[in-house]
Amino acid sequence: MSLTTFINDQQDPAGTLVVVFLRGGADGLNMVVPHGDDGYYRARPGIGIRRENLLELDGFFGLNPHLSALHPWWQEGQLSIVHCAGSEDETRSHFEAQDFMEHGGLAAGGWLGRFLRVRPDAGHSPLTAVAIGPQLPECLRGAPSCAAIQSLDDFGLGDRVPDGFLPQLAALYKTAPGVLGPAGQSALAALERISALTKTNYSPAHQAAYRKDDFSSGLQQVARLIKGRVGLQAATLDLGGWDSHITQSVIMDPPMERLSHGLNAFATDLGPEELARTNIVVLTEFGRRVAENSALGTDHGRGSVLFLLGGALAGSKKVHASWPDLTHSPLVGPGDLPVNHNYRDILAPVLTRQSKGVDLSKVFPGHLLQPLGLAS
Amino acid sequence: MSTTRRRFLKAATAGGAVAGVAGFSALSHVLAPILSGPGDGLTAFSPPQADEIDETTHILNRLTFGPRPGDHAGMLKLGRKAWLDRQLDPESIDDGWAEARTRHFEALNVWPLGELLEYNARELLDQMTRAKILRAVHSRRQLQEVMVDFWTDHFNIDPSKGDSKWLKPADDKTVIRAHAFGKFRDLVKASALSPSMLWYLDGRVNRRATEKEKPNENYARELLELHTLGVDGGYTQQDVMEVARCLTGWTVRARENTRFAVGKVSFRADLHDDGPKTLLGVTIPAGLGEGDLDQVLDIVCQHPATAQYLAGKLCRRFIADTPPASAVTNVAQAFTDSSGDIRHTLRTLFDSPEFLTARGGKVKRPFHFVISTLRATAARTDAGPALQDYLLRMGHAPFQYPTPDGYPEDAQPWMATLLWRWKFALEFADRSLKGTQFDPLRLQHSAGGETGLAAHLLGRSPAAAETTALAASGQPVALLLASPAFQSF
Repeated sequence: MSLTTFINDQQDPAGTLVVVFLRGGADGLNMVVPHGDDGYYRARPGIGIRRENLLELDGFFGLNPHLSALHPWWQEGQLSIVHCAGSEDETRSHFEAQDFMEHGGLAAGGWLGRFLRVRPDAGHSPLTAVAIGPQLPECLRGAPSCAAIQSLDDFGLGDRVPDGFLPQLAALYKTAPGVLGPAGQSALAALERISALTKTNYSPAHQAAYRKDDFSSGLQQVARLIKGRVGLQAATLDLGGWDSHITQSVIMDPPMERLSHGLNAFATDLGPEELARTNIVVLTEFGRRVAENSALGTDHGRGSVLFLLGGALAGSKKVHASWPDLTHSPLVGPGDLPVNHNYRDILAPVLTRQSKGVDLSKVFPGHLLQPLGLAS
Repeated sequence: MSTTRRRFLKAATAGGAVAGVAGFSALSHVLAPILSGPGDGLTAFSPPQADEIDETTHILNRLTFGPRPGDHAGMLKLGRKAWLDRQLDPESIDDGWAEARTRHFEALNVWPLGELLEYNARELLDQMTRAKILRAVHSRRQLQEVMVDFWTDHFNIDPSKGDSKWLKPADDKTVIRAHAFGKFRDLVKASALSPSMLWYLDGRVNRRATEKEKPNENYARELLELHTLGVDGGYTQQDVMEVARCLTGWTVRARENTRFAVGKVSFRADLHDDGPKTLLGVTIPAGLGEGDLDQVLDIVCQHPATAQYLAGKLCRRFIADTPPASAVTNVAQAFTDSSGDIRHTLRTLFDSPEFLTARGGKVKRPFHFVISTLRATAARTDAGPALQDYLLRMGHAPFQYPTPDGYPEDAQPWMATLLWRWKFALEFADRSLKGTQFDPLRLQHSAGGETGLAAHLLGRSPAAAETTALAASGQPVALLLASPAFQSF
């Protein structure tokens, strides 16, 4: 598909994949709480969330009240949850585990970068992929083109650029050695595309109310790009602050609020039709130790939760988990939730929905895929 | 500095963010006439003349935050060896000018530590950031500033966590700066007992008062993974847990618990796990108490993986993102032979043929790009909000990297910052960047004209295509600063 087709096609059949990475190791056990398992409360006498405070999900699991803005999406079947999700990386190191998860195992480039490159229906532009934030995440490494942005509004070079400047800059970057050449070409192309978008004001649709935090503002920029039909195939956002070694609720409650309110506003703003073409994935590098530590926190563990929102997926309204009884089943390592669902097996059907003919063995080399069926 | 002055700063910042900045800017404005003076002037100088980057420019590129007007000729006159000897012995260099530009950041020299808590945390971060920028621009002890930058990433602390926001200035001074050229083990020990680090990586709550209590592994893991052995250093989860046990009991007085001796580090024997431990196959006997820390440091600092890991990082900073294995091996050997002497290790690196020949192949990180612009143009800056905002947008604001691995060194993660660099180049060259000024005509005149200025900024004579592009651009200084050549070093 040519670039022009991609931009002008009102239906833009590919849709957009939005990847939210919860950096710092989010504690899935206190986000999606197994209130039906007494072992949970025994392991966490100080920080366990009591059943009466949870929003019911399926009779066994309940949603943390700080995630309440996501509950209506669950009730509508738009939100799917997989528990005991994660990667096979056992280092319990933030950097190793993030690196592993973003690269998708021992492979060159990031999984999202590879997906964008190998999808057969790909049209490439500097806005193929956007990372909201100052830096490109590892998962986008190797993407045909991508740009890190913080706001669309201040993206341009201003209005005092001499006429001859950009053509000469382009000429210098055209012959630049190493990584600078392609990076310069991407930046120049992005400049042109964005300048068209920023000429209009944006107001969210369907009474969506974005909060003021960076995560919500980032999602609003993504919504703007999606609705602007600029050929956006993937967007990544980071939400940090999950490394709850001490006083867990003080640390985790604010990012949970940001996550749930941000996604709620975003899904509302997109509206049913756009949301059906948009797949939102929320993942984290690992979960945390089942037992609380001496500082009412939790240390690095293994399995956590993974959320999927939108994408015309009729959710089963059951949390997917091969749940280990926390009292009697052996935990892994120093006392961690096992990883029963590899994140790649969860992403596989999502990527296939984005791009039907994609060869997933090239996206996730070295991993024998067993795609997880999530629909009801 | 008197209490009155501190009260003034507190009063100025108490009204919130805007008032804080305004108050401080007003103060800088009052001091500005005192601070301006000789030492930074622009006189005629000879830019590099070769078609490719010569050895002198290469050394200036790698060991400083970029050449100032006259630096190239200065090193040629002094000789490479003498220049390097001086840079490796920073005390031998008179740095009065840079000290004068940073002396009024009084918070950075406050003692005892508890006094720091009287400041507004935002004001402290601003003072740290301005001081770092101004030292990078003006200090003649450039290699020291480069190494301080390197160690600040290596032992990264995001001071936004807990009391760290008040304690990081002390870490900068008594850990990073104090040991930048010293023995690596001393540096690690100072960092291990740094109040700011004890907050940042939770060492202060790592304790085992009862059998049931589980130590906090956060610092122990990063000590092995990031500070010493490296992630491929051959340690196991068990080793991490053993280090955590060894370090139980070290804590720091928190602001919320006391008004007396805040930030004081102490060892609490009653919170220490005093049983025997085994770390990387070495037994640490029971009963050593606080002596466990020295055992851990001996084992990890003398481990061959540490020499290899540090040599790799230094070679990536000074030689190439993917340095030749031969260089890493030799630098690791120098580290081992000198029992981790940083100065000796660096000298070996800088004398190596791999270093001397690897010219122009690295990409500047945004901080380096901004500072090298200011240095090359003999600019004056207040290091204030406008400049800091660019560093934020390029994702490289000092002391604001959230995770313990520090800002990345390799080029790839920074490739999406080009647009901001171009915008900065245009705004700076247009002289519309608030708080930062330079004199383009005088600069060009001192460099001997247009071609001389291009050679000065590029570190070599401009190629024919570059000369053509500059003439047609309508803004040659901005084009030079935005060019791929100026992003490289």
